[in-house]
Amino acid sequence: MEKIWLAFAAALAIGLPALATAWAQSRIGAAGAGTLAEKPELSATIIILVAIPETMVILGFVVAAMILLMI
Amino acid sequence: MPAIDSARQLGALQLEPEIEALGAEAGDALKSLMLSDEELSEHFFYAEFKEKIAELLKIWPAIDVRESYLAPLPVIDIVAAKVDEHLKLGREWQREEEDLRAEEVNLRRYQDLLPALESLLGDVGEENGLLAVIGVTFNSREMVTQLEKIFNRLCTGRFDILTAETAKGDLVGIIAVEPELAETIKRSLVDEQVPELTFPDAFADLKLPEKIRYLRKRMAEIGQQRQLLASRRETLARRWLPIYRRVDAWLDRQLAVLQATASVFETGHCFVIVGWIPENRLAELRQRFEEDFGGRIAVEKLDLLESDLERVPVALMNPLYFRPFEILTRLLPLPSYGSFDPTPFLGIFFPLFFGMILGDIGYGMLLVVLTLFLLAVPRREPWHDVARVLGVCAAYTILFGLLYGELFGDWGTAKLGLHPLLFERSEAIAPMLFFSLAVGVMHVLLGLLLGLYKAWRHRQPRKAMFKMLQIVVIVALVLMALIALYPEFEIGFGPILVLVVAAIPLMVLFGGMLAPLELLKSIGNIISYTRIMAIGLTSVLLAIIANRLGGMTGSLLAGILVAGMLHLFNLALGIFAPTVHALRLHYVEFFSKFFEGGGRRYTPLGGQKR
Repeated sequence: MEKIWLAFAAALAIGLPALATAWAQSRIGAAGAGTLAEKPELSATIIILVAIPETMVILGFVVAAMILLMI
Repeated sequence: MPAIDSARQLGALQLEPEIEALGAEAGDALKSLMLSDEELSEHFFYAEFKEKIAELLKIWPAIDVRESYLAPLPVIDIVAAKVDEHLKLGREWQREEEDLRAEEVNLRRYQDLLPALESLLGDVGEENGLLAVIGVTFNSREMVTQLEKIFNRLCTGRFDILTAETAKGDLVGIIAVEPELAETIKRSLVDEQVPELTFPDAFADLKLPEKIRYLRKRMAEIGQQRQLLASRRETLARRWLPIYRRVDAWLDRQLAVLQATASVFETGHCFVIVGWIPENRLAELRQRFEEDFGGRIAVEKLDLLESDLERVPVALMNPLYFRPFEILTRLLPLPSYGSFDPTPFLGIFFPLFFGMILGDIGYGMLLVVLTLFLLAVPRREPWHDVARVLGVCAAYTILFGLLYGELFGDWGTAKLGLHPLLFERSEAIAPMLFFSLAVGVMHVLLGLLLGLYKAWRHRQPRKAMFKMLQIVVIVALVLMALIALYPEFEIGFGPILVLVVAAIPLMVLFGGMLAPLELLKSIGNIISYTRIMAIGLTSVLLAIIANRLGGMTGSLLAGILVAGMLHLFNLALGIFAPTVHALRLHYVEFFSKFFEGGGRRYTPLGGQKR
């Protein structure tokens, strides 16, 4: 039973931040696409901005990994 | 003007258009240099000429031609007259080309329909007096059935509907009916919203077989006419493009000199030019003016004041190894004058993080191959710089692949007996996590040290103290974490805690009320480095999955294909993700501790010549 809860906790730890990251990146990506239509030279900056919310899912992954390893 | 032209040829002097650089008393004596009427009309003539050449270069094909060595000035009037003539011709040809293209697009619509209709004509037989009423694409067979019912009622069976499919799968048809019933049929087609086929005026009056012959003939003619136009354009371009390109480059230089006169000032007796030049090229400028003007132009070095610091142009000058990494620095605003050039730090740490994340001997070797390919293509910036950066990243990837014992994931371990020198990433998750955090602590502390040095150099004691306190607190927190994890360390937890508690109010004193937030932000920055573990782990797990799936196919060839494709996909991700995240760690976590942007770009007259 404990393993089920651990698995569920790990799934939540990665799933919820993944949803949050996806939502954030969708907004940034849409704004970035509009920016690039006017200023194509900002492509590298936009890629970095789109990558910034990935911190959430990465930290979620770390927590999920720690839960699964019972650290 | 000769002085500006001489400076332009040197390619080192950036003109300063603001008189404030000379001080308040100078501002009263100086006024902007006015161009003479002759120079003004020369300016307008050159600008107009350049626009015409630019329009001509857009109309003509961009073909590779020989370089011209013609001196433009003696023949400028002849070339100016020719450009008008060529522009007129070019615009006519362009209009003709557009008309032909529009006609071709229009006729192509019928190219599918008419052959399908032609196949129905034999069944109808126009010669026996029936008038063929042609309906355009039917939406569906049901529409045909519906029309048959309506026509049965109207024409009592004296009609025929024939349908055929075009090559694209559309349904077309012809309605054959007695001439006196044609109008009735046409009205009911309008009521049912089935449009008749209409043809361009050029062949609307022809019978259907003739329409098809005309269509084919006209398409061939259009093709030939377009080829003829293209050939005429290319012949003229081959002859005149070298001359126009040479004149265009010359006009650029002349216009640059004329525009630079806006930054020249004069008194009643002399002219004054204010500008910026790297210190190591000042002697070169003096020597050039001495040679060109025999001592009639004096070059004086002014003292750099604090008020000038915002205006000093900045150029990135790095050793050969770090120079390719300037493509990454250029994504940010230029550093302000007197602050740190972040390029060397990117040159050291970016490939290191890249290697830590990707860390696979096999992927590293593939990156080496890609690097060599990029270096082999004809020189096109920035691809050669990208190749050099990729090459360094590939070297670190191979190095960390050796440390992790990874060659295409666990293939090296399974088939070649490769063992990790450090730890195996897929199993040692906790050690990898602590390793990433340790890298984060080092990197952030380095950033804070650089920030501390910068604040000390700029005589900002409060900022320097704040940075130092941040360093002390972070080191103390790391020690506390170590003590918590490894109680066998004989370091007093109590004194360290007291140090942290005492440091926080001092941070508020030197850094303001938001100082604790800044500390939290630094701790968050350190935790962000765990992405090195997370993204690296996903890379190695994907590689392991690729090997497993390849093994499950049961066939060597299929296994190589499946595993190969997945490894290629992983490599593509492995180039993109480590690049973006390593850059993000630099731009957000590291540079925020010391980097100050807002530098003004160094753009010398005539372009930078080293």
